[in-house]
Amino acid sequence: MAPKQSDLFQGTLDLMVLKAVSLGPLHGYGVLLRIQQISGSRLEIQQGSLYPALYRLGHEGWITSEWGQSENNRKAKYYRLTAAGRRRLHAETEKWNRMADAIGAILRATPEEI
Amino acid sequence: MRIARRFVTWWEAITRREQLNSEIEDELTFHIEEYAKDLMRSGVSQDEAQRRARVELGGIAAQKENCRAAWGTRIWDELHADIRYGLRMLAKNPGFTAIAIGSLALGIGANTTIFTITKQVLLDKLDVHKPDDLRLFGWTGGENRVPIRIWGHWSETTHTCTSFSYPVYQQLRRQNSVFEDVFAFKEIREITVAVDNKPEPVTAELVSGNYYSTLGVNTVLGRAIQNSDDGAPGSGAVAVISDGFWSRHFERAPDVIGKTIQVNLTPVTVIGVNPRGFTGASSVQTSPDIFLPFSMEPIVAPNGTKSLLTNPDEWWVLVMGRIKPGVSNESARAAMDLLLTNAVRATMTVAESQSVPRFAMQDGSRGEDLHGEQFGKPIYVLVTLAGVVLLLACANLANLLLARASQRQRELSVRLALGATRGRIMRQMLIESLLLSSAAGIAGLLLGYCGRNAIPHLTASSWETAMIHVRFDWKIYGFTVAVSLLTGLLFGFMPAWQAMHTQASRGLKENAHSVMQGGSNFSGRLLVALQIALSMLLLVGAGLFIRTLTNLSKNHLGFRPDNLVLFEIQAPNTRYPAPKDLVLYRQIEQRLASTPGITSVTLSKNPLIAGNVSNDDFVPDGLPPKPNDKAYVDDNVVGQDFFATMGIPILAGRGFDNTDTETSRLVAVVNRQLAKEYFPNISPIGRTFLSRQERIEIIGISGDTRYADLRDDAPATFYTLYRQQPKGEPSMTFEISSNIKSFVLVPVLRDAVASVDKDLPLLNIRTQNAQIRDRTRQERIFASLTSGFGLLALILACIGIYGIMAYSVARRTNEIGIRMALGAPVGRVLRMILGEAWWLAFLGVTAGLTAALAMGHLIASMLYGLKPYDPSTLVIAALLLIFIAVVASWVPARRAACIDPMQALRHE
Repeated sequence: MAPKQSDLFQGTLDLMVLKAVSLGPLHGYGVLLRIQQISGSRLEIQQGSLYPALYRLGHEGWITSEWGQSENNRKAKYYRLTAAGRRRLHAETEKWNRMADAIGAILRATPEEI
Repeated sequence: MRIARRFVTWWEAITRREQLNSEIEDELTFHIEEYAKDLMRSGVSQDEAQRRARVELGGIAAQKENCRAAWGTRIWDELHADIRYGLRMLAKNPGFTAIAIGSLALGIGANTTIFTITKQVLLDKLDVHKPDDLRLFGWTGGENRVPIRIWGHWSETTHTCTSFSYPVYQQLRRQNSVFEDVFAFKEIREITVAVDNKPEPVTAELVSGNYYSTLGVNTVLGRAIQNSDDGAPGSGAVAVISDGFWSRHFERAPDVIGKTIQVNLTPVTVIGVNPRGFTGASSVQTSPDIFLPFSMEPIVAPNGTKSLLTNPDEWWVLVMGRIKPGVSNESARAAMDLLLTNAVRATMTVAESQSVPRFAMQDGSRGEDLHGEQFGKPIYVLVTLAGVVLLLACANLANLLLARASQRQRELSVRLALGATRGRIMRQMLIESLLLSSAAGIAGLLLGYCGRNAIPHLTASSWETAMIHVRFDWKIYGFTVAVSLLTGLLFGFMPAWQAMHTQASRGLKENAHSVMQGGSNFSGRLLVALQIALSMLLLVGAGLFIRTLTNLSKNHLGFRPDNLVLFEIQAPNTRYPAPKDLVLYRQIEQRLASTPGITSVTLSKNPLIAGNVSNDDFVPDGLPPKPNDKAYVDDNVVGQDFFATMGIPILAGRGFDNTDTETSRLVAVVNRQLAKEYFPNISPIGRTFLSRQERIEIIGISGDTRYADLRDDAPATFYTLYRQQPKGEPSMTFEISSNIKSFVLVPVLRDAVASVDKDLPLLNIRTQNAQIRDRTRQERIFASLTSGFGLLALILACIGIYGIMAYSVARRTNEIGIRMALGAPVGRVLRMILGEAWWLAFLGVTAGLTAALAMGHLIASMLYGLKPYDPSTLVIAALLLIFIAVVASWVPARRAACIDPMQALRHE
């Protein structure tokens, strides 16, 4: 079973959204699909918290949005990463990696090593 | 950058709420449709796909709110809702809202008005560069100081004088090292200035050449007075005019520079115009009309043959310095003290036994600040009284709100039960209070704006052109806003606190079914008692001031003030050097006496009840010498018909007549008080005395009259004839007795004086009664303001008592019903309710009495003819309040007594 979003650390959703839009402008539903696609459907995003997250990131100035045309010619709102967002993504990725390393090291520990 | 970005989105969320909502809706709809399509592709039916898409996203309304909240609008949205809800609640109770806003607005308006006066008289600073660096010089001196003639202000409270001789000023300025510069100025009132040959009295300020540069003031037009203007005495015929003078006489025309005006008949060139806010260095309230260099002193303030600029004995010049940065007041004072000692010893002869004045220094940021000293205390009393009025309005409103909050218990309980936090409930209540106080603040500001000129000026006579304009600036707005918010919090806090502690379960269950409500409304009763106490304070204040005023007006003046018109004539020294001025006065007197319609004419050096006296030495011949303080008595220089015109009786001997002339022997009339003090058992008539090195014979005794003031009993006074003053008199007041209405009479008087000399203006034309009223100006302002406050207090107390009793009866309907069902007679119920009101009133009156006694000490010096604990005032105020309390609770008590027991028991 795919892990639910609530099992993840706080802030992970923001990080994933930033990463998703860093690969190219996306509308809200596109963000959802992109994350599912990259994770190979191993991660299930709660749809209800996606849009507040997008607005929150916009409020912080990390992403901007503008209205455009979807693939099937519908009006849709597209999100793209700003320069500040790129820096934020970079910093957050670093942080995540360091933490993952640390937690990984702890979990890999065997009795002999102590 | 992030802050700016956040603000942009926040601002967008607030200002473009509807557009944002529809955008979010579009976005979510798109999401649902796309998701549903994908679901249908995987084989789900259309309806099911739509349903699942909606369910997984969550409700659109909730999503919208969450997205907006992500832009930081939660607090704003809640506040917005609270305010709308508050406005709805206030609109639902228009009567309550009107009373609340009305009473508060009166309180805030009163405080705003009083604050504008306070600000003007006590807080405003000179409109110059860095006024706080200015120091006003002064000196103190003991009994045996070197004799100094002072033309200026001597403070009785601090025993300080701020006048210096011009030679001393010059030496202080030359030798000073602790001030950046030292400059001098002197305000001179009522000199005659003619623009286009129309003479009028104006106030001038003599200033030293470095005055403008040291104050850091630039003219808006032309140039300021410079050191080069302030040269030899009599030179430097240049003037800078005030903004007001420029408006009145030149219609703000820019070509005023270079024009010539006549100052005491001497041509003077206008060289500059002062900025609007600049009021000179003397006061912050009014500006002198023209500014002249000190070198013009012989023309503006002539003083015999010797110019004041070289006279070391006459101390008259005010001196200020701008202190150097980093120099402490104490070291500056010490340095200047040394310089002052040197300067006095260099310019005057100081005997062995005499001491030299010691230097004193005071804050110069408000100029000479005579008004501050004179009106400081009255203004503090007014501020206190206005504060009490506002406090009273607050107590009243807190009371009404408390009663209302109890009615709203149910609503609050429901909100609590539905999940509102206690903080939110408290915020809601406070917002309602603040809405009320803000509305009242706006209304109060309007009242204050209208009232700023309605209150007669504390500092100016009614016949003076009031050039004091109250500046309504940001400080006053700030004050009103602060007062409004503070009152909102003050009266809103208790109800809000009570609301916050509502129990959801209790509020829902309890439908006023509990039979006994003992002590449940303790805070409300306390507030009513407080209201009565504050009202007591205001009523006693009003009573004391009204009685002071009536005591003053009942005073026996000793002369007949009706049908008398007064005006002053100044004889310009250049045209009428002494004793020619006496000839001028005689000509005017004779011309007026022959004018039809005028009953009689006289003149005097000092008008009566005008705050002026002169005194001179009085040494009777052939009597043992009196101790030192008795060597001087008050005197007045008068015309021949003074006693007849003023209606003062001659009790013995004779008054002045035609046989008393310039060449006959010197004669005087003494009043009864002087005869009693100096000649207790002998007749003074025919005796002589020595005054001003002249031997004068007493020819008669007149009745006593009050002289400078209504408050002081008639002082021992002697009168001499103006025609027998060889040194002349620079100005005289004419007293005209006539039955003609004064507006008809005044042009006649002007014509008569103009036929003697067309360049002489009539100064300060007023009736004797107006002059007397002017001396009681402060008392009248206090009497009218405190009675207004007292009336307001009574009305508020009425509302408060009625409100609390009506509420109490409503809550006790059940209890009263049971009492009556068990056999309590109607009278007993009535007594019970009235008794409660009586106790509240008694408690409040007792507390108020204590406060009033404490207040009495503070205002004792402002009262006349009664003690601050005047028993009749206290008793009347107390009885009035108890009466009001019983009357206000009569209606609720009747209602309680008419309760039908059956209905009361079924009640709810």
